[in-house]
Amino acid sequence: MSSSLRRGRKTAVVHGEPEPKGWLGLAFILPSFLFIVLLFLLPLIMTVWMSFYNWPLLGRAKFIGLANYAELLGDAQLWHSLGFTLLYTVLVTVALFLVAFPLALLVDRPLRIAGVFRTVYFMPVVIGFGAASTLWMWLLNPDSGVFAQVLRATGLIDSAPRPLESFWPALAVIILMVVWKTSGFTMIILLTGLQSISTDVIEAAKIDGANVWSRFRRITLPLMRNSVVLALVLNVTSSMLAFDQFFIITQGGPSNSTISAVFSIYLASFSSYRLGYGSAISFALLIVLVAISAVQFVFLRQRPEEG
Amino acid sequence: MFKLKLTISAIALMASATFANATDITLWVRTSSGAVLQGLADKYNATHSDKVKVTQITAEQMVPKLGAAIAGGAAPDGAVLDLIYLPTFAAADGLEDITDFVKGLPYASALSPSHIRLATYGGKIYGVPALPDASIIAYNTDLFSKAGLDPNKAPASLQEIAADAKKITALGHDTYGFYFVANSGSWLIYDFLPHLWAAKADVLSEDGRTATIDTPALRETIAAYRDMAKAGAIHPTSRSGNGNNAVEAFASGKVGILMTGSYIVNLLTSKYPDVKFNVAPIPGPKDGESSFAGGDTLALMKGISDEKKKVALDFVDFYMQPEQQVYITQESGMPSRTDLAKEAYAKFDKRNLVAYDVLSKARTPYTFSSDELFVSRTGPFLNLIQGTIFGEDVDGTIAKTQADFTRILQRTNPN
Repeated sequence: MSSSLRRGRKTAVVHGEPEPKGWLGLAFILPSFLFIVLLFLLPLIMTVWMSFYNWPLLGRAKFIGLANYAELLGDAQLWHSLGFTLLYTVLVTVALFLVAFPLALLVDRPLRIAGVFRTVYFMPVVIGFGAASTLWMWLLNPDSGVFAQVLRATGLIDSAPRPLESFWPALAVIILMVVWKTSGFTMIILLTGLQSISTDVIEAAKIDGANVWSRFRRITLPLMRNSVVLALVLNVTSSMLAFDQFFIITQGGPSNSTISAVFSIYLASFSSYRLGYGSAISFALLIVLVAISAVQFVFLRQRPEEG
Repeated sequence: MFKLKLTISAIALMASATFANATDITLWVRTSSGAVLQGLADKYNATHSDKVKVTQITAEQMVPKLGAAIAGGAAPDGAVLDLIYLPTFAAADGLEDITDFVKGLPYASALSPSHIRLATYGGKIYGVPALPDASIIAYNTDLFSKAGLDPNKAPASLQEIAADAKKITALGHDTYGFYFVANSGSWLIYDFLPHLWAAKADVLSEDGRTATIDTPALRETIAAYRDMAKAGAIHPTSRSGNGNNAVEAFASGKVGILMTGSYIVNLLTSKYPDVKFNVAPIPGPKDGESSFAGGDTLALMKGISDEKKKVALDFVDFYMQPEQQVYITQESGMPSRTDLAKEAYAKFDKRNLVAYDVLSKARTPYTFSSDELFVSRTGPFLNLIQGTIFGEDVDGTIAKTQADFTRILQRTNPN
């Protein structure tokens, strides 16, 4: 080793090369830093600032302090939206895991055909939510839709099914669409976890006489913890921020029962043109999301002794 | 001397060239009216050196985009927008005063009164009707005959509508007596409020600043609708409908009476020629008739230059001429003027005249917070309709609507 480290000198010589200057590192992270400041921090500060104003689309904004937040606490429709969003998040997350986990186990094979299936299951992910929602609207049309025609052809129904006319069928349709569209993404995350498990451990368990279920419960699941946590946090966050599918398919109906939290922001800001109130809802939702994510990380974080 | 003459001539030439410079104006138009306005602009541009450029904006984007453009100092020269927004934009000092121009028009008295009322703020006029329409009812004359009703006699009251609707529903085979779009605020003010106006009632005071929800007319109207809902006479897609399936439902021949608008006549005759129907004004609970004067108003943006203002107003005068009015009627069902029935409808289905005649009696809510009160999906007006017609607590819903309206009006009324 020819490294010589001298006290009091800023530049250490390692293998004969000077240590890079501190500002060089800063220069490398500067683009990302600027990106985050411009596209996240500044809008966030602007949103918080606007939330203290009565900010109409036209005319002057008026400072009203915490009045928007006070109104928000008493807004029954908003609480209903938040409750509905939580219900939707729980249901869709459970449904996604129930579908994506078996899919991941199925395509985790060293066979060429498995690659084909992986691609097929992942394909809906690349469609935008707007396009997927519009596609499902067309499939669901009670008069000319494919579903209705198939059901009629099989003789299962005689009148047109109208799932969007009542709450639970409407929610079921949305969950079905979201599972179809996003389970491929969850599958890929879980598959990554599955494939990171060493085959030696599985082989050893087989030799010790562990059956399939036992191997899955005691080896596969614990070793996949990080992938499961990642998939869970991503699914919960995206479900809490769901908007497109409700905006396009149910349009908040029937009777405002499927207005999600983000839909409420849209309505306040771009239907009632109350930009200050919309900002207050946005910031409140951010706090709720941070709290939910924090709880998830605290409970599901890999404990050091398990590492 | 010769040099001086030459110089003067040159200056004169330059000056005349300057005066002959063509002026272009930009008009923002909502997409639903885009084709007609583009057609009018093409006609104008073909015969004038000044040009009108039409930019189409989707209907739901028009207000936020225009508001943002005015706030950002990048507004177009003019806009053709839903007349209901005129008080809001005028009160926000976003529009150009064109009172003298409007009052000086030889056909000033033939402009839709409701469009002029909505375009008036603080005694000044800020807009002129562009493409008006009016709400009416359409009824299937075949179903009327089958149900033993007189197909040549339109229901003259809401109570009659309810009675007829129940008889038509009794025909069975998935036939329903009545269809109204119950889950869209903009449809409801169009089709529901005229019942109240026909009975000389309203949900807002004349100046748009006070709520007047609880009236005998409202309760009678609600009672008739509840009667139909309870009897199963309202089409199943009405309650959550947003207007997309209304025409199709009626055209399928399974709906007796449809709450609709003046465009229905041309639409049905061109797309669904087999449907046997007639149209009538919207009646009040017991008698009377009214309509919602809807459609578009043309307004100029505050701060438009005199040159551009001159061109814009010249374009208005151009499209108000009989030849263009015939074109407008052909394309969108109703002329901008109310004194051209003979010319405008000479070649068209005479059923169009029902809406045309009722336009002079038609009203529009004069409001500074149309979206929050009426259009919003979570707004008080939509909750009033859903709650009182399909819900259980009529009194509670009416009281809550009055309170919600009052709260919103207190916050949004201009000083």
